[in-house]
Amino acid sequence: MKLLKEKKNELTEINNEFLAETLAGIEALHKATNQFINDKLYKNELEDVILSEKKCDRIKEKYVQVLFKDKRALPFLVEDRFNILMKLDQVNDKAEFFARFLQVYPFKLYADIKEKFITLCDSCYKTVKELINIATLIETDFDGAYKVTFNVESNRREARKAKFELLDILFKKKDDPTKIYLTSKLVTYIYDIASWAEQTSDYLRGLIIKYPTR
Amino acid sequence: MELMYIITIFLVISIIISFGIGANDETMATLYGSKTLRMKELLILASIFAILGALVLGEGVSETIGNNLLSIEVTTSIVLTILISTAIWLIVSSALGLPISTTHATIGSIIGVGILLGGGFGINWLTILEMGIWWILSPVIGYIVTYFAYKAIHKVIINRLSGFRSFEKTEKNFSYILLAVICWTAFSRAGNDCSNAVGIVVGAGAGIDITILLIITGLSFASGIVILGRGVIKNVGTITELHPSTAFASEIPTAVILFFGTLLGIPLSGSHMLVASLVGLAKARRAPTSKGLWKIVLIWLITFPVAAILSIAIFFPINMII
Repeated sequence: MKLLKEKKNELTEINNEFLAETLAGIEALHKATNQFINDKLYKNELEDVILSEKKCDRIKEKYVQVLFKDKRALPFLVEDRFNILMKLDQVNDKAEFFARFLQVYPFKLYADIKEKFITLCDSCYKTVKELINIATLIETDFDGAYKVTFNVESNRREARKAKFELLDILFKKKDDPTKIYLTSKLVTYIYDIASWAEQTSDYLRGLIIKYPTR
Repeated sequence: MELMYIITIFLVISIIISFGIGANDETMATLYGSKTLRMKELLILASIFAILGALVLGEGVSETIGNNLLSIEVTTSIVLTILISTAIWLIVSSALGLPISTTHATIGSIIGVGILLGGGFGINWLTILEMGIWWILSPVIGYIVTYFAYKAIHKVIINRLSGFRSFEKTEKNFSYILLAVICWTAFSRAGNDCSNAVGIVVGAGAGIDITILLIITGLSFASGIVILGRGVIKNVGTITELHPSTAFASEIPTAVILFFGTLLGIPLSGSHMLVASLVGLAKARRAPTSKGLWKIVLIWLITFPVAAILSIAIFFPINMII
């Protein structure tokens, strides 16, 4: 009994650790993008994002080992927890990809798109933050988690609106095509994080609806 | 010397038939299906309760079956024919991994040999009819009770759960209750089924101490579960997706009806009840059932005629030897 309890606590602790690290990564990214927008140094923060992703990978390995160690665990719960972890990990991967892209992005941001870019970055940050909130709540409170999924949806919508407004401005510019192209990529890649977070949130919402029918 | 010879043959046959019954025992299937216990653990548990059940509860039912079914004089050859044909059919179906009713196989064999020797008057049809009603009723009851038991558990408990952790905790609690219910079922079922192996021997008045016979059959019953029972347990345990709460809902009718059946001396079919319960559960959950279900139904349908034909086929060779 004691061993079982310890095993369960271990899983909870690792899960919390993973979520905390994901949050730390996305916070570092948010900070880095804000500094990038304000033309300040942001390389250290980007390194933090990459480091967070690496840490998350290690935590993920540990989590998977503990998850599959319990032969008596509910098979559907093991499967669902595994899928949630993999989907959350994709958020980290996308954040890392964006961070690496930002590291090599050779230009300064156009002044006329800064405001919109802030909106996009903020929406993206909020979307991931809410997603982590859902992943935490789903362990103890389905109703609470269900409500938060709608916040993710509205944040992603906001991000999508900002993305297309930014692309509209960019595609109308008559400037260096490389800069326009790379800036549009910058917009697309950060939006991808929010988009994936919403997809994960939709998956979690589906689970919440499905669980009582188990 | 002749008595010793008869007793030895009876013991060997009893060991074979109880081995066959054990091999076809699927009581632990839901524990396997819901992953509450691993195969090794549940085989050990099944063996312990098989021996205990045979010893404590076996005697009551034995006398009912042995004394009431045949209207003709029960000779040693008749007893051996029935036991051997039942054992053959049980072992064949266990080797195929399909659960059948031991009671049905035994009664099928009795009918075969009864008709062969006494025509329509060789069988106590009234008792058969009385039992027949229970055989039809028990899976129907199993199906209906499980259907509503699942709905009730779902409405009262599962629907109110919130969060993965509460699911885990509730299922864990159900797994403890399920374990207790199944141990109870295994206990009463061993009593019910082992009595089939020894019942006809008691009816024949072979003069063997029933306690010794029950200990022996209990042990061989356990060996049957360990050696051949895995296939049947796996097949029944995977009829539909199970977890402790749903497995619990399917075990309630089987456990309750079987226990009271054993106490009242009614030879019920635990296999039919459990399979019907699992189908009822799948229906209630709108979940699919395994593709091999038709094989189980088919073997149920052919058990009576096959057991009867087997007993008719082997009666004369046995009669010549004895």
